[in-house]
Amino acid sequence: MPIVLKGRPITGGRTRGKALVSKNPLSFLGGVDPETGVIIEKNHDLNGEKIGGAVLCFPHGHGSTVGSYVLYSLVRRGVGPKAIVNEKADPVVVVGAVIAEVPMVDEIDVSQIRTGDLVEVNGDEGTVVILERDGSCT
Amino acid sequence: MYLSREEERILDGEKGWAYQVAMRILVKLGDLFGADRLIPIESAHISGVSYKTIGDASIDFLEALGKSGVKVMVKSTANPAGIDYSHPEEMIGIFEVKEKQNRIIEIYRNMGIDMILTCTPYYVSKPKEDAHLAWAESSTVVYANSVLHSWTNREGGPSALAAALIGKTPNYGVHKPENRLANVLVKVEPCLRSEADYGALGAHVGRLLEDEIPCFSGLTCAGETELKHLGSAMASTGMASIFYPEASCPRVSGELEVVSVDMNDLKNAFESLSTTNEPPDMVYIGCPHCSAEEIKHVALKIEGRRVRRDVRLWICTSRYVRRKAERYVKIIEAAGGKVLSDTCAVVTWLKEIGVDVLMTNSAKTAYYAPTMNKVETVFSSLDRCIEEACQ
Repeated sequence: MPIVLKGRPITGGRTRGKALVSKNPLSFLGGVDPETGVIIEKNHDLNGEKIGGAVLCFPHGHGSTVGSYVLYSLVRRGVGPKAIVNEKADPVVVVGAVIAEVPMVDEIDVSQIRTGDLVEVNGDEGTVVILERDGSCT
Repeated sequence: MYLSREEERILDGEKGWAYQVAMRILVKLGDLFGADRLIPIESAHISGVSYKTIGDASIDFLEALGKSGVKVMVKSTANPAGIDYSHPEEMIGIFEVKEKQNRIIEIYRNMGIDMILTCTPYYVSKPKEDAHLAWAESSTVVYANSVLHSWTNREGGPSALAAALIGKTPNYGVHKPENRLANVLVKVEPCLRSEADYGALGAHVGRLLEDEIPCFSGLTCAGETELKHLGSAMASTGMASIFYPEASCPRVSGELEVVSVDMNDLKNAFESLSTTNEPPDMVYIGCPHCSAEEIKHVALKIEGRRVRRDVRLWICTSRYVRRKAERYVKIIEAAGGKVLSDTCAVVTWLKEIGVDVLMTNSAKTAYYAPTMNKVETVFSSLDRCIEEACQ
């Protein structure tokens, strides 16, 4: 049986992708290179990772309020996340997800998800389903 | 969240796509954070003006909004842009982005926004105490709540714009008195000597507390400038939107959680804001944008001296404050410094204008510049910054 995590729907839409999971809060402004989608925040556990096409899982956003536009910009350039999973949504990330039209769910314990897991995010129902781990079905 | 019939109609798109998107942002935030209704705001302050920070895709979004002919419903002001048009000699190497920056400014201006291009709009015009606002720019938000006693959530650029277009904001977060109560007491043991010490304290406390609401004890001689640096640093490393500089303040019932900050914490925080000890090629004062008082301080410090040939000294503020402090601006510029307006070091293209090592008294700049501007930083007090800049 796949592992189903139940959270809160934030922005609608349903998508599948590989999870990229962080223990650290993330600032889109200054923390993510807007050209390449690479995380550049100092001392971040995903430093150097590309967020393009990933289901990006992190506790919550922090830092400057321009972050919403950066998220929109990343998605428009095709280097943004496919979906966002947070423990606690903050307004900067939520508004970014609304205008970029990225499915988003919060109130998920992101430590349940591992980088590389194939997950399905359902932003209408607020669920995250872990479909595959280490190449095998869960 | 309750919506009036008129608000419902806007959400349904009756006033067009742009107002609909604006209303959708407000309703989404309101629903998420448990707002009961939308409340009128006195003013909005909009971030996301510099082309450097918002990039191309966002221009498309703003242009689409602007094309529909939307206008703001309340007094609205704008954050700094990426260029100071009155100092082209300082902007060599980046003038090709001038056109894109112009477009952004035009879009906002056509919406009816006052393009004061500063992150300290409260030096131009103070909001009323207890007024509800929708302000973006994290340092401005903390200052409004903590020093000016106005009420604003930490808006994002788009949500502040949405609130400006609708003239309202969802009633949640620190718009409600019960959410403005201190829940942590931060005991500051060392004696803080400069605005940079306050910045270092803010960087430390921001990291530690995230979105908890601190009140402080031990900040014996903090003026508005010191509190500005404390708040802007807290908002950079954490999610702060309000703090209390004194322990006697509205607080949650029962014992407060206590966090002590000792000399070592402060020293570590201070040191973490420098990435090098190389000599700087730019010394930068003005994050957040300087008050007339800060410009006067720089002028008195620099009078009769000369900025070294191999160093640029930038002092950033708003056009309004620059005019108001003209006497002191002349002293600084006679010494070889530059008093810029409409922009700041963080939202312009430092590398492109030849900066590799930036020295600053701003913890916020020291925190952001290594990633946003890809420069090395040296963090120090204003007085030491001026010493370093001069022969």
